Amino acid sequence: MAMSCDRSRKKWQKVLYKDQGVSDNYVDESFLEEMKKNLHIRTYEFWAVVRESNVVMQQIYSVWIFVAVYFHMRNFVLTPQFLFEMSSAVTIVGYIVNFVILHENALTKSRWKDGKTMGIFLILGFSLSPILMTLTKTISTDTIYAMTFFMLLANLLFHDYGTDAAIVSQAFSLNAAIFASICLASRLPTTWHAFSLVTFAFELFALWPILRRNLKIHFPRLQIILSFLLGSVVTVSVATVSSVAVVVFLLLHLFITILCPAWLIRLQPYKNNIHGPWDEAVIKQ
Amino acid sequence: MKHSICMVSDFFYPNIGGVESHIYQLSQCLIERGHKVIVVTHAYGNRSGIRYLSNGLKVYYLPIQPVYNQCILPTVFTTLPVIRNILLRESINIVHGHSAFSALALESIFHARTMNVKAVFTDHSLFGFADLSSILTNKILKFSLAGVNHAICVSHTCKENTVLRGKIDPSDVSVIPNAVDASVFTPTSTERDPEKITIVVMSRLVYRKGADLLASVIPEICSRHSDVQFIIGGDGPKRLAIEEVREHFQLHDRIRLLGTVGHSAVRQVLVRGDIFLNTSLTEAFCIAIVEAASCGLQVVSTSVGGIPEVLPPDMIQLAEPSATSLVESLDKAIAKRRNCQLLSPDGAHDWVRKTYTWQNVAERTEIVYDKISAATEVTLADRLHRYNKCGLVAGKIFIFIAALNYLLLILCNWISPVQNIDLAVDCRKLRRLKTSGVNLEQSS
Repeated sequence: MAMSCDRSRKKWQKVLYKDQGVSDNYVDESFLEEMKKNLHIRTYEFWAVVRESNVVMQQIYSVWIFVAVYFHMRNFVLTPQFLFEMSSAVTIVGYIVNFVILHENALTKSRWKDGKTMGIFLILGFSLSPILMTLTKTISTDTIYAMTFFMLLANLLFHDYGTDAAIVSQAFSLNAAIFASICLASRLPTTWHAFSLVTFAFELFALWPILRRNLKIHFPRLQIILSFLLGSVVTVSVATVSSVAVVVFLLLHLFITILCPAWLIRLQPYKNNIHGPWDEAVIKQ
Repeated sequence: MKHSICMVSDFFYPNIGGVESHIYQLSQCLIERGHKVIVVTHAYGNRSGIRYLSNGLKVYYLPIQPVYNQCILPTVFTTLPVIRNILLRESINIVHGHSAFSALALESIFHARTMNVKAVFTDHSLFGFADLSSILTNKILKFSLAGVNHAICVSHTCKENTVLRGKIDPSDVSVIPNAVDASVFTPTSTERDPEKITIVVMSRLVYRKGADLLASVIPEICSRHSDVQFIIGGDGPKRLAIEEVREHFQLHDRIRLLGTVGHSAVRQVLVRGDIFLNTSLTEAFCIAIVEAASCGLQVVSTSVGGIPEVLPPDMIQLAEPSATSLVESLDKAIAKRRNCQLLSPDGAHDWVRKTYTWQNVAERTEIVYDKISAATEVTLADRLHRYNKCGLVAGKIFIFIAALNYLLLILCNWISPVQNIDLAVDCRKLRRLKTSGVNLEQSS
């Protein structure tokens, strides 16, 4: 009798090679003792999240500016010459700013390479513009608008906002935006219109994100001012096209900047990350 | 009490692996104990139909081809007629599914429960919780385990993992470890090089098995000890990394890369070593270290998953999953070897031979079978209720699937009634006749 009491008082060991006198489905009090929950959880502060959400908003601004420019050209408010001159000037300024920020040495070779790329692109773009005009002539405008919508949505979804997620594909995002610009360009009256819109799209969706990223790394405080500036530009340009659109834009802005962070913070307590000895080990250095 | 057991899995002979040999060995031992065992798996190339393995183990190679990762395409309902037919023909009263990766096993368990046949599920692997594939697989596992009568896991860590993933009662999970055929893995001192200390590595060279750790440990050990050599068996995408290390540090005469080693040749490689190194980042049980211990090698391994539970401290040196910790443990093992402080190879082999036997596994599995056979039957309403608990939306979907399966079963019963199905010949009767010396030709 005393012997069996001794054996039951002996601590149960988590080993497989000893017959510990208990049944195979025995559940010890140390069951799940090594499980840890929510080890690496981050607590979010509301205004910090709001500030960070402007990364998404800036790409949305790009999209809205692009669509607004298209409509302005459609309504003959904006001439292609003006657009081309303005966007080229801004691009050159942006290029110089980027150059200064990165403290790059004045390697004439890479300047020459950039210049060559720009030249090739302009010549190619200009010679292909007549084809772009007639490319989607037989497709109805509604279909074009629908395709543009989905392509710009894809651009927003797959854009690299600085995270490491699997869904990020910068190439796909850029391709979607350029495809959207080609769709819209085909609805414009002359070749000159199409060329200026596509060039503008390239500058906006390919070159602007690079400058934005470098600005964010070197001058993080500038982000809010930049967002305010861009936001006002978008509001003004969209308002002159359609008042419904500007209301939609402002609501979208509110949703992403205020509501989404609040929602994220509200959902944090429900997090249930389980860690334990069954996890794949992370190699420690 | 003798049962009629149907082992189901996508992984079986002619494939060679842990799950495959587990099913085969367990079936053989259960047949020895007097039960009837059949195995159901998918077709392997031309191998389709019914084959018999030793001791009358009947294997049904269902005419379904594997599509991805050696598993069949999961369709849930299309396997019902054929599984129903097999279970009725062979008068099966317990279905035992293996491996959470096997779609066939999970579907067969589902159909068995629809037919009110008892079901057991054995989980052989550890899973995460965080990434998308894990979340989906765990949902499917919840569905399968909601219907199952009992679950078996190969280690305590595996049990904790399964209980958390499948949300089942821990007393419905039994821990029955794997085993090795110790008669195959015997030590011999003649193959070893007495001048050098040989470290054997036998694993696929992939990230999961810690090939990166191996690549960083080798040069460090080789520089610390001049008489150490490595024999690495196995192939994979990380082989290049090991070859680069060999090139960079000029260790051509100290590292031998054998490439893929066939299962029958594993023992020949193991007996050439003094120390077995395992650098896996995750393992539910790790049969390799038990095989190595059975061949008399000292084991050095990363302490992950279920590995700390498998061997006693005098037979294994555990290390953190980092290069420095592994090098330290290897140093200790090498020092012990030099001072002859290690357990003798025969001693280690005897220990493994007595501790991890398939007969023991079969005995403990039989206890599980007896327990579930004695349990009362669950009604359809209870089963649907259990499925409902799997989740807010998922529960309703699962109820729908279970109810539809039940209706399809009624349809199958109407199309091909139970009475019209011929019962298969029970191999046990033939064996009993044979062993009792009756001449079969005369009796017919």
